[in-house]
Amino acid sequence: MRQLFAPGADAIFRLSLLVIGAGVVGLFLVTAGFSRSSYVTGVGVAPDQPAPFSHKHHSGELGIDCRYCHQGVEKLATAGIPPTWTCMTCHSQIWTGARMLQPVRDSLAQNRPLEWTRVNKLPSYVYFNHSIHIGKGVGCSTCHGEITAMQLTSRANAFEMGFCVNCHRNPRQFVRPQSEIFDMTWAPPADQDKRGPMLVAQYHIGRPDRLTDCSICHR
Amino acid sequence: MTARHDPQAVDLATIRETLASGQGPTFWQSFDAVARTPAFRRFLEREYPAAAHLAAGPDRRGFFKLMAASFAMAGLAACDAGDDGRAKEVAYVRQPEGLEPGVPLSYASTTVIDGYANGVLVTTVNGRPIKIEGNPDHPWSRGGTDIFGQASVLGLYDPARSQAVRYLNRISTWDTFRAAMIGPVAALRADQGRGFRILTGPITGPSLIAQIQALLTDFPQARWHMTPPVSQGGLAEASQTLFGRRLDTRWHFDRARVVVAIDGDFLDPGPQQVGLSRAWVEARDASAGPLLTLHALAATPTLTSAKADYHLAAEPRDIAALVDRLAAAVDAPPTASDGRTAQWIARAATALRDAKGAGLVLAGAMQSAAVHAAVHRLNAALGNIGTTVTFTEPVLPDAGTVDGLVDAMAAGDVSTLLMLETNPVYTALSDIGFANALAKVTTKIYAGLYVDETALRCDWHLPLTHPLECWGDARAVDGTASLIQPTVKPFYDGRSAAEILSLLFDGEARDGLAILRAHWQGSQNAATYEPIWRTALLDGFLPGTASPEVSPPALAPKSADAPGAPLDLRPDTVTLLFRPDPTIWDGSLAASGWLQELPKPLTKIVWENVVAISPALAQQHQLENGDVVALALDDRSLDVPVWIVPGQAARTMTLTLGYGRRVTDTIFDGLGYDANVMRASPSPWLTDGVSLTKTGRKAVIATTQDHNSMEGQNFIRVARDGDAPQRQGEGVRPSLYGAADKPKDERAWGMVIDTDRCTGCNACVVACQSENNIAVVGKEQVAMGRGMHWLRVDRYYSLAKTDGNGLDDPDTHFQPVPCMQCELAPCEVGCPVEATLHDSEGLNLMVYNRCVGTRACSGYCPYKVRRFNYLDYSGGVAPSIQSGRNPDVSVRSRGVMEKCTYCVQRVAEARITADKAGAPIKDGTVQTACQSACPTRAITFGDLADSASAVAAKRNDPRNYDLLGELNLRPRTTYLAERAPRLPAKEG
Repeated sequence: MRQLFAPGADAIFRLSLLVIGAGVVGLFLVTAGFSRSSYVTGVGVAPDQPAPFSHKHHSGELGIDCRYCHQGVEKLATAGIPPTWTCMTCHSQIWTGARMLQPVRDSLAQNRPLEWTRVNKLPSYVYFNHSIHIGKGVGCSTCHGEITAMQLTSRANAFEMGFCVNCHRNPRQFVRPQSEIFDMTWAPPADQDKRGPMLVAQYHIGRPDRLTDCSICHR
Repeated sequence: MTARHDPQAVDLATIRETLASGQGPTFWQSFDAVARTPAFRRFLEREYPAAAHLAAGPDRRGFFKLMAASFAMAGLAACDAGDDGRAKEVAYVRQPEGLEPGVPLSYASTTVIDGYANGVLVTTVNGRPIKIEGNPDHPWSRGGTDIFGQASVLGLYDPARSQAVRYLNRISTWDTFRAAMIGPVAALRADQGRGFRILTGPITGPSLIAQIQALLTDFPQARWHMTPPVSQGGLAEASQTLFGRRLDTRWHFDRARVVVAIDGDFLDPGPQQVGLSRAWVEARDASAGPLLTLHALAATPTLTSAKADYHLAAEPRDIAALVDRLAAAVDAPPTASDGRTAQWIARAATALRDAKGAGLVLAGAMQSAAVHAAVHRLNAALGNIGTTVTFTEPVLPDAGTVDGLVDAMAAGDVSTLLMLETNPVYTALSDIGFANALAKVTTKIYAGLYVDETALRCDWHLPLTHPLECWGDARAVDGTASLIQPTVKPFYDGRSAAEILSLLFDGEARDGLAILRAHWQGSQNAATYEPIWRTALLDGFLPGTASPEVSPPALAPKSADAPGAPLDLRPDTVTLLFRPDPTIWDGSLAASGWLQELPKPLTKIVWENVVAISPALAQQHQLENGDVVALALDDRSLDVPVWIVPGQAARTMTLTLGYGRRVTDTIFDGLGYDANVMRASPSPWLTDGVSLTKTGRKAVIATTQDHNSMEGQNFIRVARDGDAPQRQGEGVRPSLYGAADKPKDERAWGMVIDTDRCTGCNACVVACQSENNIAVVGKEQVAMGRGMHWLRVDRYYSLAKTDGNGLDDPDTHFQPVPCMQCELAPCEVGCPVEATLHDSEGLNLMVYNRCVGTRACSGYCPYKVRRFNYLDYSGGVAPSIQSGRNPDVSVRSRGVMEKCTYCVQRVAEARITADKAGAPIKDGTVQTACQSACPTRAITFGDLADSASAVAAKRNDPRNYDLLGELNLRPRTTYLAERAPRLPAKEG
C-alpha cells in the first residue's frame, strides 16, 4: 500500500509549525514595533508649519532664552505659543523681506493668527502643568529633548502614560538644580543617585505613591 | 417591563393609616415609598433601575444583530484621525494685556432676575465666561448666588438666541432699522411723542430709567408702561392702599426673636432669596438662647413653609381671617382648643407676645392688600415697626400699567410701541387681550433675547445682548446699584436696551459703556470720577446706594382697606393659585436646559409644570399623580395633570407660570401647561370658584422623587433645642477593612453639610452642573432615571420636627447628597479596572478614561450618587454650548460612569499653587462649586486633618452625623442635624 504521506511531509509539517510559531511571535513583534514607531508616536517627525521656525537657530545659535517666547512656562499650566507680535519684535527690523517669513507678516497685517501644527500633544483627559514641573526641578529637555539642536521642531518623546509615570515613580532620577532647568544638553551627572534624593528632599517632592495618584493628572 | 417609575395606584387612605399608625417610614419622599408599592420596591432593589429597559430589550437574535453593528461601529471609530480639535495651536496676533492663557480671570458683574440685581463674580477662562460665583463684597448677595444667576452662563451660549434684526420676520440689519426709523422718529418728535409708548419688563437700573425719563421729557406726550415684577405680586397695590404711596418693606431677622410668615416667600426663588435666606439663617444660627423659630401659614407649600418650625396649611380665602384671629390671640390668649389651627395660632401668638418689639410678622408678596394691612397693624401693635420691620423708598420706578397700555392700544391711541425686555403676548393676563390690541398698533418694535411670541407679532424684532456681554446696571432688593459689565464681546449682532434707545433717539448712537458712565459720572469731573468709577467696576456695585430708610408711615384706617373680591364658596369648587415657577420663573428662562432639568424643589418634577393638589382633594376625586383633570371657570378652561403635594391646603390647587408655550424651534415648545389661560384681573394670583373634573386621561410626568432612593433609615436627624447636646453621630467604629494601612497624607478633604441651613434652593445643583460640565439629558431620559446631576437635593417628609399632620401637612426636610467620598468605599471594590479609587488626600476619584462602563460601582454605592452616561449626552450638543464648558474638567462620553469628586480640579489647582509657593493650602482656599454657590453657607469644605479648619470644627459639632452611618463606610461628607424648637406642652 502506498504511504499516505511522502517522506518530506514530516519536514513540511515541522516547517509549517515553525512558520506559524514564528508568525505569531512575529506578529507580536511587528505590532509592538509598529506601536513604538515614530509613525504612531510621532517621535522625531517634524510636521509642516506655516513658517519653518528653527529652535536650533534662534535658541541654540542666537541664544534667545526659552522664556522670551514661552512666557508662561514658569507661572502657568501652559508654556504658551508666542503671539505674532513676539516674532515681529525682531523681524520688523531684520529679514524683513524674507519669503519664509511671509506668513508671519501676513498674520500681522491681516490680524489673523498663525496656526501652528501641534507638536506635543496630550489626550484631553490629561491635565499637565508646566509651572509645577519647572518649580520642582524637571528641566525642559527631560520631556522636550535637545530642542536647541532641532532645525525643525519635532516630538522628542512619545507622551504616553508610561513616560509620565516613569518619572512620577522615580523623580530622583530626573530632577536637577534650578540653575540647570533651561540647559538643553543636561544629562544626569554620574552622581545623580546621590544628588537626586537630596534634590527631591529640597524640592519637597511628594512620595511616589502620592505622585502617582490618578488625580495628579486626571480630572 | 420598563424602568419608568410610573406613579402607581396608591391608596391615599391606606397611606394615611400607615403614617398615623407609625408603621410607615419615618422619612419618606413619595407615597410609593410609604405604601412600598411594587414599583417602588423595584426601583429600590434593582441594581440598575435606569438600565432596566436595556436588560428587557432584545432577544438573542436581536442581541447578535446589535453586537454585529456595534462591532462594525467600533471598527469605524478606530478610523478617527485622532484630531479632537486640538491638532492646531492658534496663537494670538497680539496678546491681550492681563490675559494669561488658561488662567481664570474674575470680573465683578450682576445677574438680573425679575429686574433686580444679585452681585456676582464672573469667572472667565481664555476670554470665555464659564462660571458664576457669588460676590462676597456685594452688600445684598454677600457671596451667595441663586439658580437663575448660576444658569445665566448657559443662556449666553444658547444657540437659539436671536441673532439678527428681523423686519416682518425676515432678516434685516441695524442700518436698515435706523434708516427706516429716522422718518417716524422725526414725526413723533414734531408731534411731542403723541401715540408713542414704551413697554418694558421690570427695570431697576438707574441709568436705563434715567434714559427713559429723559426720553419722556423730550416726548412729553409719550408714555412708559412696565410689566410688574412677578416676585412683587400684589405688594405695590398693598403698599399704595396702606400708606398712600409705594414703599418697600425691610425685614430684620437679626433683631427678631420669632418670625411669623403669613404665606411668606422670603426663602423662595426670586430676587429676595439670596439676601433674605442668608439673613434668616444667620439670625437663626446666631440666636443665643432659644432658637429663632419660624411659624408659617401657607396655602401652598413653599420653601419658606418647608423650613418652618411650626407650619399650617390654610385655605387662601381664610388667611385674612386667620391673621385677625392671630391678632386677637396676641391680645387675649384664646381659650384652649384642640384643632391644629387653634394650636398654631396660640403658639404664634404666645411667641409674639413674649417677644414684643422683637417679633416679626410678614406676609408673602402674593397676598392681598387686606392681609398686608392686617399684618402691618399687628406689627404696629406689637411694637415691631422700627425694630424688625422698617421701610425704604421703593426700588422700582413709577410707570404705567400694562392694562393702561392695552386700553390705549385698543382705543387706537398708540401708533408706535417699543417693547424692551418683556414678552407681553405670553405673560399678559389672558382676559386683557394684549395680542388683539397689539394688532392695532402701526409700528411695533420689539427687542428681546429670543424670537418669541411677541417677536412674531411685531414689525421689527431687535436682538438684545445677554447681560454677560453688555454694559448696564440694576438695583438689588435693598436698592444697591450694581453694575453689569461685559465679560465677552457680543456673540451675535445684538445691542443692549440702552443702546437701542440711544440708536433710536440720540443724534449719534452711543455705546453702552458711554451711556452708563455718563449717567453715574453726572456732573462730576471726568478725571476725579475716574478712580471712583474704577473702584465701582472692580467691586461690581456703587457703595452707599441702598434705598434710604423712611420713618414708619402713618397707616390708613382699617376702613380704607379694599374690600376683597366676594368669595366663591360653592362647595364643589376649588381655589386655583398661581405662582412663578421655581426653576423657569415666569417663562423668561424657559430656554435654559439647566433650569428645565432642575428638579422643582418640592415636587422634584422636571421639564414641565403640573397642578398641585392636596391629598384630601385627590382622595375625594379619586385622583392619582399624573391624572389629567379639566379645570374650568366661565369661558376659561385648562386640562392639566395633577400632582399630590402634602402640605397643600385641602381645597386649593397651585399652578406655576412659564409653561405651555408654543414657539417652534425652541426647547420649551409644547412643554407643560399655560397657567395664564386661567388667570384674570383683578386677582392675577388667585382664581376662585374653579370646577374640577377628572378626564380619565393620564400623563407621564418625569420626576426624580424616587430616583436614587437609599435603603436605610434616619437619613435626616433632628436636634431639639434645649435638649442636652447629644451626639447625633455614632462616631468611629471598628471595621474589618483596615483603614489604618491606607497611606496617610498631610491632607484629608472633607465636607460638612448643615441641613438646618439648607433651604432647598438648588443653587448648588446648578453650580455643580456648570462647574463640572454635567450634561442635560431631557425629559425622556430623566423619566428612565438617567438624570446626570452629581449633586441631588433629597426632599423628605416626616413628622419628626414638630407635630406635623401626617399626610396632609407633614414636616419637610432637605438634604443635598453629593458623593460621600467614603474612606471605605464599596464602589472601589466593584470596579474591575480600578477606574474608581482613592487618592492619598481622601478623594474617591473617578478616572473617566479608564472606565469601561460595567456600572458595578453604581450598584455597590449605597448612597446612589453615581451617574452613568447611557448615551452620548455631551458629544452632540451645539458647538456654542461646548465652548462654554469648563476647560479644567473632562467631558464624559457614552459608557462612562461619573460622579462628584469634591471639585478635584479646584483641589488640584490649589495644591499646585501651594506647592509652588512652598506654603500649605490655607483653610478656605479651596471652595467647591456647591459650597461657594450656597446662599446660606450650608456647606463647609476643607481639610479634616487640620484641627483648626472650619470643617473640622463642624465635625465636632454635636449635631454632626453620618448618612447611613450604620454601614460604617466612614464617609468624608457628613451632615449637621436639623434644629427644631423645644416642643411646648400641647396647649389645651
